[in-house]
Amino acid sequence: MTVRRALLPGALLVLLAVWPWVAPRYFVFLASVVLVNAIVALGLNLLSGYTNQLSFGHAGFFAIGAYTAAVLTLRAPGVPVLVTLAVAGALTALVGLAFGVPCLRLGGLYLTMATLAFGFVIAEILLNLDTLTNGADGLRVPPARLGALAFATDTSRYYLTAAVATVLVAAAVNLVGTRTGRAFLAIRESEIAAQASGVPVAAYKTLAFGLSAFYTGVAGGLFAFVVGFLSPDAFDVFLSVDFVVMIIVGGLGSVPGSILGATIVTVLHDGLAAFQNYRPLIFGAILIACMLFMPGGVTAAWSRVARR
Amino acid sequence: MTTAALVHVVVSGLATGSIYALMALSLVIIYNATRTLNFAQGEMLMVSTFVAWAAQRALGLPLPVTLVVAVAAAGLMGWLVERVVIRRAIGATHWDVLIITLGLSLMLRAGAGIAWTHDEFPFPSFFGTRPLALGPVRLAPVSLGIIAASLGLMAMLYALFTWTRLGRAMRAVAQNQRAARLMGISVERVYSRAWMLAAMVGAVAGVLVAPVVFLSSKMGLIVINGFTAAVIGGFGSMPGAVAGGMLLGVVENLAPLYLPSGIRYSVPFLVLTAILLVRPAGLLGRVEQRKV
Repeated sequence: MTVRRALLPGALLVLLAVWPWVAPRYFVFLASVVLVNAIVALGLNLLSGYTNQLSFGHAGFFAIGAYTAAVLTLRAPGVPVLVTLAVAGALTALVGLAFGVPCLRLGGLYLTMATLAFGFVIAEILLNLDTLTNGADGLRVPPARLGALAFATDTSRYYLTAAVATVLVAAAVNLVGTRTGRAFLAIRESEIAAQASGVPVAAYKTLAFGLSAFYTGVAGGLFAFVVGFLSPDAFDVFLSVDFVVMIIVGGLGSVPGSILGATIVTVLHDGLAAFQNYRPLIFGAILIACMLFMPGGVTAAWSRVARR
Repeated sequence: MTTAALVHVVVSGLATGSIYALMALSLVIIYNATRTLNFAQGEMLMVSTFVAWAAQRALGLPLPVTLVVAVAAAGLMGWLVERVVIRRAIGATHWDVLIITLGLSLMLRAGAGIAWTHDEFPFPSFFGTRPLALGPVRLAPVSLGIIAASLGLMAMLYALFTWTRLGRAMRAVAQNQRAARLMGISVERVYSRAWMLAAMVGAVAGVLVAPVVFLSSKMGLIVINGFTAAVIGGFGSMPGAVAGGMLLGVVENLAPLYLPSGIRYSVPFLVLTAILLVRPAGLLGRVEQRKV
């Protein structure tokens, strides 16, 4: 049983490791973007899937992480990339915690609106902090460094992203078995029942905000290195919406769902680029079809099929 | 700044606010009936305005007829969307329906771009351009016209919800869907009518605002302001939607006068956040009691 359970993750790991050897260079880059988005989706799912706080502002957290990593690398070129990513994650987590506290009072659409507003305000701040962010002109990000190693090629950046993503996915999977994970699950099932059973709901909901922001901040840092160029308009509300689409299409509250959703949305966006004007038309139609025929997302549909 | 200039700014703020209020009302109408947030509301407004504009150019229609065309097109679109897509998702979670309306909005915007390009077009206005002078105060007829027309439409909505069978049925469904069904109200019919009504309110807002902001496929983004307005007022409350819209419009127009340009666009959201901190369910909303 344990062997069979390890089969799929093992196969995925092998695929992850050999991908740059079998795929053309562009698809190595695309895979890095998929992995970055998967980390965000995972972080967002911790928040939305488990503690029912749907955020339309994760592009804001993503941007904080990306700019922190970029500015840190520019100002202090000697800092190893893992430290840079940790700082990006930690700073974003702090913002997330600070933002999560007032959000505790808000539910449903009010929270959605507050997070939407957060995203707008962050984009505006980035545009105006031009001494740090270079404003609308954008910021060129130098390659990440780890000691003597410079991540200057698509393949090396891919491996960096893949390694970080693997660690974060493993952490998310194992989280479910910890006290925090059980608290999140309890809150997902029923906030009131969780509260009645002695779970400090407010503390865990705030923690979820911080944790989610941490994941998104780290992903933002990786994104900065993967694409090499940041500009504030890349972090608009549509990006936040895309993140939400990823977790709903994939499946709320599910780790494989987050990864699947991120893959589907990223690959679709990329694959439909050739259709130019027709791209959003096709993408929209696919979204509608997806939700009509697979309510609850891909993972829910999969488990229905598997049960049959 | 003189009082006269201040009055001018506040009045144009109220005009912007009226449009936001109409947008917020159309969101609330659908939300109350179906518990769905309609992401595509702005795009529906945009498409019905485009249809009216195309008809006006092709047939040389007078402006009032153009308005009728916009409203009719919107009604048809609302009916179609509900019938063809949304009704199939009855029983789905509202996250699923949210993504469906998001897909709709992408499709409508792309469709409009394909049919009419993504350029901006001038749209004829009901109102003249010569400012009205009231003593020292100069007011744009467009602002006054938008405010008057919106207030008229709001009065009609009030009458509809208060005195007609349909309005009562919609309020009943909003209060308790199961009880409404047990009382013999066809919930499906209410769903359908809510989508039509919301689309029609949006179409009026579209025809009113298009001369001011130009007609373009990006016009649908106004849904974000409408959503902000509805949340400020308390989502689900119709007077709240109107109050929220007006407040948002005035704040948005006043802010550039007193604040540095850097934070101008953040002001509505800062106001919103401040209001939500004090009143987590908006100005006129009630905090929902959760039961196990």
